This record gives sequence, C-alpha cells and structure tokens, in this order.
Amino acid sequence: MTDASPDGFPPGTDRFPPGTRVRTYRHDPPHHTRLPRYARGKRGVVVEPEGPDELADVSAQGRGDAPVEQIYAVRFEARDLWGEGDHHVVLDLWESYLEEDPDDER
Amino acid sequence: MARINDVGGTQGFGAIDTTDDTEPFHADWEARVVGLYNTLRAQGIFNTNEFRDAIESMPPAEYLAASYYERWFTAICALLERKGVLAPGELDD
Repeated sequence: MTDASPDGFPPGTDRFPPGTRVRTYRHDPPHHTRLPRYARGKRGVVVEPEGPDELADVSAQGRGDAPVEQIYAVRFEARDLWGEGDHHVVLDLWESYLEEDPDDER
Repeated sequence: MARINDVGGTQGFGAIDTTDDTEPFHADWEARVVGLYNTLRAQGIFNTNEFRDAIESMPPAEYLAASYYERWFTAICALLERKGVLAPGELDD
C-alpha cells in the first residue's frame, strides 16, 4: 500500500471521529477477545483513535490473516455499564466491536 | 462464552490487594517461566494473543486456584503441545 505509516500499518480509517456515539456489539466469541463482558451491548462515545493494530480476536487463533483495524478509546458512563456510579470508564476497542448509535434510536 | 478471566465489574471476589509489592518474582521458577515465554515468543512459536487465549482457556477451577505465573506456565505447556513442539503428555513423566 502506498500510504502506509512508517511502522508498516495503514493509517487509521477514522470511521468514528471523536464524539461519535457508538454501541458495542454483543460480541461473545469462543476465543480471546478484548471486549469485556461488562461492556457488551453498551453505549459510549468515541474519545479518539489510538492507532491501528491487528485484530486480537483473529491473531489469538494463531491465524496469519488478522485484519488491521483502527482502535478507538471509547468512554462509557459507569451507570450505563453497571446501573450506578458517577465515574466513567475508557476502553480501547477495535473498530469491529463498534457500530454507530444513531440519535434517533436512543 | 465469556471466560473465567473476564470478571471485571463482578462482585464476590473480595477486595483487591493493593499491597505495594516491588519484588518482580517470589521464586526462581517464576523468573524461568518469564525467560521461557520471552524465548518462545522471540522464536515465533506463539504470539501474545495466542498466549492470552491459552491462559483464558484454563478450566475455571484450575484458573482460580493457580498463581499468576502458574497460569503462564500452564499456557506455555498447552501451546507447546498444540504447536507440536512437545508430544501430548511429554511433560507428564
């Protein structure tokens, strides 16, 4: 690829700009994943892109074809995760864990 | 199928031990396990995510009873068998 970054990874796609409301998938695969159980099917807001990396879920299976995806820092309100709490939690999540959460569905 | 390692936000595990512990190892074998890990990773026998997957694949009761580096050693042994470096049961003797 012509526009690869110096470390060999393609530049981030930035599909979700900072401030984008996203929803996590109810992602529950029978192998390693980096989307914790408490954050599945939850709503959050993108803080910023963190840079691309190989998708751990595929790499964990010993496969050489792991897609390289943007990783996003996503902010969740504690009460959205656990029903209480005034703090927030920021998780680094691969793009395929996320879908846009349109306002009209909220 | 969330695994036994995935307990973030779960109640019932007691208070987190926040004792300031600056010793990296508490027994020589623990340092050897880290040496094994570093060597096998550098040789490309497995990658970091496969290693994490192997730790998370431990039977829950075994996982909970094991110390941190006992989990590392269990995962390394499982991966060496899976990758054909060791024959199944070769470490049992």
